Amino acid sequence: MAEKTDKNTVVVEKTPTVTFTLDGREVTVPKGTTILLAAQSVGIDIPTLCWHPKLTIAGSCRMCYVEIEKWPKLAISCATEAMDGMVVYTDSDLVRKGRAAVIQFTLMNHPLDCPTCDKGGECTLQDLAFAYGVDNSEFDFGKHRFGATENDTTFDDVVVGPEIVLNRNRCIRCYRCIRANKEAFGEFDLGVFERGNHTEINVAPGRRLDNPFSGNLTEVCPVGALTHLDWRYKIRVWLTDTTSSICPFYSSGSNILLYTNQQQNKIYRATSRVNDDIDDGWLSDTTRFGYQVAMSPDRLKMPLIKKDGKQVEATWEEALKLIGKRLTEITEKKGRVCIGGLVASSQDNATLFSFSKLLRKVVGSNNIDFRTDYRMLPQTSGGAYDVLCSQPFSIVGINQSDVIVTLGSDLVKEHPNEYLRIRKAVNFGAVSVYAMNPYRTKSSDVAKKELVYQAGTEEILINSICLVAIEDGLIDSSLAGNLAECISPSTAAESAELCEVNLEDIRAIARALADGRQITFFAGEIVGRSINREAIAAALCNLHRLFGLSGRCQMNILPRHANSCGAVQLGLLPAPVLATKDMLSKLWGGWPESEPQTTDRMMANMKKDEIDGYMIVGANPIMLYPDREFATDALEGLDFLMVADLFETETTALADVVLPLASWAEYSGEYVNLEGRVQKTHQALKTDYDARPGYEIAALIAQQLEQPLFENDQTRDETITKVLAVDSTLPWPDEFLEVKHVADEVDEEYPLVLFVGDDSHHSGYLTEKSNSLTNFQAEPYVEISPTLAKRLGIDDGDSVRVESPVGKIVVPVRISHHINNDVVFVPMNFSGKQVNSLIMRKSRVDRVRISKVVD
Amino acid sequence: MILTPESVTRIKDAAALYPQAKSAILPAITIAYRQVGHLNPDLYGEIAGILDIPAVEVAEAASFYTMFPKEPVGKYLIQVCHNISCALLGAEGLLSYLQDKLDIEVGETTSDNLFTLVRVECLGSCATAPMMQINHDYYENLSRAEVDRIIEKLTAEAQSGGTL
Ligand code: SF4
Ligand code: FES
Repeated sequence: MAEKTDKNTVVVEKTPTVTFTLDGREVTVPKGTTILLAAQSVGIDIPTLCWHPKLTIAGSCRMCYVEIEKWPKLAISCATEAMDGMVVYTDSDLVRKGRAAVIQFTLMNHPLDCPTCDKGGECTLQDLAFAYGVDNSEFDFGKHRFGATENDTTFDDVVVGPEIVLNRNRCIRCYRCIRANKEAFGEFDLGVFERGNHTEINVAPGRRLDNPFSGNLTEVCPVGALTHLDWRYKIRVWLTDTTSSICPFYSSGSNILLYTNQQQNKIYRATSRVNDDIDDGWLSDTTRFGYQVAMSPDRLKMPLIKKDGKQVEATWEEALKLIGKRLTEITEKKGRVCIGGLVASSQDNATLFSFSKLLRKVVGSNNIDFRTDYRMLPQTSGGAYDVLCSQPFSIVGINQSDVIVTLGSDLVKEHPNEYLRIRKAVNFGAVSVYAMNPYRTKSSDVAKKELVYQAGTEEILINSICLVAIEDGLIDSSLAGNLAECISPSTAAESAELCEVNLEDIRAIARALADGRQITFFAGEIVGRSINREAIAAALCNLHRLFGLSGRCQMNILPRHANSCGAVQLGLLPAPVLATKDMLSKLWGGWPESEPQTTDRMMANMKKDEIDGYMIVGANPIMLYPDREFATDALEGLDFLMVADLFETETTALADVVLPLASWAEYSGEYVNLEGRVQKTHQALKTDYDARPGYEIAALIAQQLEQPLFENDQTRDETITKVLAVDSTLPWPDEFLEVKHVADEVDEEYPLVLFVGDDSHHSGYLTEKSNSLTNFQAEPYVEISPTLAKRLGIDDGDSVRVESPVGKIVVPVRISHHINNDVVFVPMNFSGKQVNSLIMRKSRVDRVRISKVVD
Repeated sequence: MILTPESVTRIKDAAALYPQAKSAILPAITIAYRQVGHLNPDLYGEIAGILDIPAVEVAEAASFYTMFPKEPVGKYLIQVCHNISCALLGAEGLLSYLQDKLDIEVGETTSDNLFTLVRVECLGSCATAPMMQINHDYYENLSRAEVDRIIEKLTAEAQSGGTL
């Protein structure tokens, strides 16, 4: 009857209980609870080394000894279940003696180099040796030193990955790193080798420890055996303060702690601030090392204004005056509608809301959007896509599901946190995971089956699931209504053939959807970016209706950025949800009348000279807009461009005014995660130069336009809270929607499908400024399959030309088993190569060809 | 591919005997060792590919067992037990006798690549101490004369092109 749970979570279900005596008091816990967890639940602390709340039990350190009456020997509490009538002592003389002996054993080979060890001050072994008064091992033979022999030159520290350093002498063989790496992350780049005294943790032969979660291992290691280069030998931990913050990159908003030294005004590292509802205590490396972006020496330090075609340094006053003057000129000459804005969804609520008000209320233009990579479809309030995006979603809900289906999401790169959640569901429960992607991704490690479909056929694929359910009678036939008339092709077999998938696999998914008690079904960026996304969303709405998923499924198209949800909720869309729009027009006493424009429409209108003034905050469309030439033409054609950013970028280069933007670490702000949860960041750094938060910039501009935005910060924040409280969930359509197949034209000249996205150690255009993250990956590459490589006579690392009908780039090849033969992948995170010049606006599927560069 | 099609088949057959492919790691490395004469990371990769498990798990298991040489050894791998029974009955003497006779130190290989000499822990044949294992065979109740005879026989066998 017990719920699925990891073995270390106390099961609070209607399971039978046991009652036993713990240090003289009576304790009742569910049957199956270990003595350790029972003790923790009543506030008794038992020391541990190898036990970890999120991992399976190893029982390898014996630190957690307790005495049990009538038992012949001390028992390890982490692996001993409490039983009725047991009498347990956690701090008797015998226990203390036993633990002291264990510490002696543990110190047998441990070098006790605490003065120079980075773990000093936060090392479990150090604390325990202190607590039990054991200053060294009494064994009188010498300590085994790894690498101390002549044929092994890697004495003491070994750099085993781009960031991770291993010191095998300090290792106490608790195997937490191995368990975390294998169980929680599903990675196999680390192993245990040799045996006995010589047992060592090391990287797998020929590998580097460079998985996307590698940084966690430094937190998992109870001693200083695994540390990371970024932190090593830089500061003692007791000279730092911690500030709570959240991940500024991904949409789940993992909770982090920033370690700072205030005198030096410097962040030294980030660790997890374990939140079991969100991150479970694990961080992706991007989240962990991303703080370095804020500390980069390249940060923009002063405003720049364009004088005689050249950007020169200016004061804020000059810059703001110029902005005010130009915006007024444009509105007077050409009208309010000729001004637009793009405020990135990585910005905090206050910034997003302030710019929204600045444009809509002060300027009086309806042109505001938060999406750089925003393709052809306007966000039509109430469309199927919006319906899906507005549905409730909970991260822990993933772990309560018995069926998980993902569509079009390179999960580990887009949603690393949710990827780990799914892993956990697979490890600890009876869950079936189905991933559907246009190319093979790492999701195949967790999925029962990763279904690879022909790129651009998502809507037909979803149709085929519906059709097979009808044909096989998997669902109540009365539910099928007129669905078959709404979709084409109208048989499952035909649809499956178009998608190039096996009908049997479709059938398995249909069955799982029909039978699932609690289903999580979400689509990712491949859907979000698709020009066809409205049709895909319509197909998903049909599926939701057909299978009667209401009440037993959380379905969503997951947002990508730290504050995507905030941006939607606060109405930073051309057409916000009606309830939000009503609320805003009430608050602001009106709503601009002009037709709202998306980023894409604005770009098109810049070319037509219908948008003349544009404000960009924290976005880099020249690098990320899907069609570089188009974006460049558009922005170059503007009369006035203002860009606020952390760095000079290809976009700021075109601006008339560039403003230095404060980073998330430099002010306190609020962000809304993908569940709609509002979370806070706190100021960790003072800006020692003149960068300002976005909301302040908006307020200053409003001042220039002689219309103060808010009375004060408090009224602003109260308004934001009000707007966020608006229920913006949209009702599911009450009929089946039409989803017809439209054939894609394939240009034989360009036979390979191009996918772009994030590298597994980067997110967006800023992470390139983190040294640690560039240590993992510093330049773009094109990922191709071994078969394709062989066919083209290309080796790993060779330079190749990637050509599309509109552009070409030359990048090195990375051969990957995680990709199909007719697909290539190029990461978009590196500014050096103009990857978006390969992408053609309005194309449904981007196609390229590649050839070897012969020098 | 280093493994011959025959070894691959044998590994697959071994895997079929267990509910989990992982359980076949030891039989698989034994098969690989018997074919190649030693183990190396390339072989771990090949075995992992056949069993569809991570290569590191094969490497871990192989490293645990000292009985598998991880580097090329001579045609004959002489493994002399030096644990208690053998030690009492002169294992150390035997070892130094072999060192002198073959003109190598423990851990080395003769220049003609015929013999590698190593010291090993108990091989479970204490009743017949002192003993040694050469490739896959036990040689028991050893004396210097016996050792001379064995080395002579093996040298002759090698010269006549005999196989393991
Ligand atoms: S490296 Fe650290 S975490 Fe891994 S086994 Fe050693 S002590 Fe434990
Ligand atoms: S914590 Fe119980 S054995 Fe390590």
